[in-house]
Amino acid sequence: MNPPGRWAPRQGLVASGGWRHLPAALVAATFVFPLWFMLSGSLREAGLPPPRTPELVPWPLAFGNYERAIELVDLPRYALNSLMVVGLAVPLTVLFASWAGFAMSQLPKRTAGVMVGVSLVALMVPVTALLVSRFALFRLLHLTDTFVPLVAPSLMGTSPFYVLLFYWSFKRVPGELFEASRLAGYGSLRTWWRVAMPLVRPVTVAVAVLAFVFTWSNFIDPLIYLFDERKFTLPLGLRSLAQLDPQNFPLLLAGSVMATAPVVAAFLYVQRHFLQRHRGVGWLGR
Amino acid sequence: MSGLTLEGIHKTYGDVVALRGLELTAAEGELLVVVGPSGCGKTTALRVVAGLERPDAGRVLIGERDVTRLAPAKRNASMVFQTYALFPHLTAGDNIGFGLRARRMKRAEVTLRVREAAALVRCEEVLDRHPYELSGGERQRVALARALARHPDVFLLDEPLSNLDAQLRVETRAEIESLHRRLGATMLYVTHDQVEALTMGDRVAVMRDGSVEQVGTPEEVYAAPVNRFVARFIGIPPLNILPVTHRGGRFLAGPFSFAMRGNDERLARRPLELGIRPEHLVISTAKGNAVATVALVEVAGPETFIHVDAAGHRLIVRAPGSMRPKLGSELLIGVRRANTLLFDAETGETLS
Repeated sequence: MNPPGRWAPRQGLVASGGWRHLPAALVAATFVFPLWFMLSGSLREAGLPPPRTPELVPWPLAFGNYERAIELVDLPRYALNSLMVVGLAVPLTVLFASWAGFAMSQLPKRTAGVMVGVSLVALMVPVTALLVSRFALFRLLHLTDTFVPLVAPSLMGTSPFYVLLFYWSFKRVPGELFEASRLAGYGSLRTWWRVAMPLVRPVTVAVAVLAFVFTWSNFIDPLIYLFDERKFTLPLGLRSLAQLDPQNFPLLLAGSVMATAPVVAAFLYVQRHFLQRHRGVGWLGR
Repeated sequence: MSGLTLEGIHKTYGDVVALRGLELTAAEGELLVVVGPSGCGKTTALRVVAGLERPDAGRVLIGERDVTRLAPAKRNASMVFQTYALFPHLTAGDNIGFGLRARRMKRAEVTLRVREAAALVRCEEVLDRHPYELSGGERQRVALARALARHPDVFLLDEPLSNLDAQLRVETRAEIESLHRRLGATMLYVTHDQVEALTMGDRVAVMRDGSVEQVGTPEEVYAAPVNRFVARFIGIPPLNILPVTHRGGRFLAGPFSFAMRGNDERLARRPLELGIRPEHLVISTAKGNAVATVALVEVAGPETFIHVDAAGHRLIVRAPGSMRPKLGSELLIGVRRANTLLFDAETGETLS
């Protein structure tokens, strides 16, 4: 509460007190426990029988699992491979999804509507339904056992969902802004870069994060397309770890921690963009 | 600077005809106000000039140049949007310089031009701020400055005052006028507000259904409207209209009657209507005036609008603000023939 006599504006959604964090905390806790048990499990001495009840902190702490995991499987190399795939796929996803979304937002309403419909239909096709034909296609092109099949989907924005996300965001930008840009002499490409993209930055970040997580944890595609062990990505490395010593779960968990850490780190880094200051409706001129 | 000509512009959207053979000319350095009710095609006309819409037929000339097929940026016309269309992610200064950077102008020169344009509309002190930090009036100035910075041949203004509050609107109106005088620029100014049209325009073009009904100086459109539509559209409150009959050498219109003269006999062969502006109805006890019953009194500060019933017709009388007749009381009203307008009841055309 404010001291008497000192008025302060009500803060709308940002209500005072810690209570409003409670639901968020509850949800977070649900998701934190598996992560925590992954971490605590990875620090458990190898060879001990699994605990009857989940233990919060194992004793003694066994960091040796991490060393052992790297010894057994070339995790750094796989991490590098994953990083390479992600480094290509994420920027390409953002680029093509935003291009497609921007183009759709500039189309006449009816045409755009048809494309939204097509995108939604495409979204409902299960990925597994296309596995065989996609594999056949890449084999025909002699591109199996390369990173190309892993990166290629990003040339279509990875998922129609990302394209739609961009489309809906660009749709919400008043058309006069794009017209003003055209009047100033900017073509589509420069309007996209100078006007459209800066206005949807949080969406760009969201799509990048989603694409990152999707590509980073993609298991099925590397499994199908990669044969050479030196080209494996992290999820495949984890599988190898699980297969090499199926009884030794702390070892697998150690590998999992190493695979998950970059995702969490990346998310923590970009989350401030989600929390970007709300800028009001300045562009509406009202 | 150069003039602007629209020749036979047609534009349809699907089944909707937005412009049908629009003809419009703004002389060099002229402030031409295009006014009309919503949906009359005035904004479409502006967008055709800007190059945002491609006409189905017709030509757009800026000066001697046919720009009909040119890209918007090559027409050297600047547009101020109704919503200002400022880029939220750029500062006011960057907004003003936006079109210049697009032309790959050197940074130093852009800075110079931005300062110069900002000085013209007096918004130098907000150049470092973003649009969301600006008031409505400041946004309006920045939008104007952005149009000025490009040194265009033609300015296109799309209802630039409609988002301002009443007081700011009057101030900005005066400022745009003085800006126009100082720059001597050709301006096409679209509005639905006939007060803006009459006060600002060198000439006024009244549009309806995709074509121009009348172009003339504000005095002309007010005093000599070509038809009933223009007569009713220009003027607040709107023109009173009475059906006209004739008997025994006299025109009878509601409570009024006039002796026929000159070619009136010939005019009277078709159905007629009489238009009387509220300001021309005079309340006085002069001989021959008609009795009217007060039905509604609208007090508007310096003037009072008195709605009266006379001979079965509702008329609006514009009276001085000091006048406050009681509801239901009776007044004597009259009008001089010279102050009336005679229309063909079928075509709406003004007859003289």
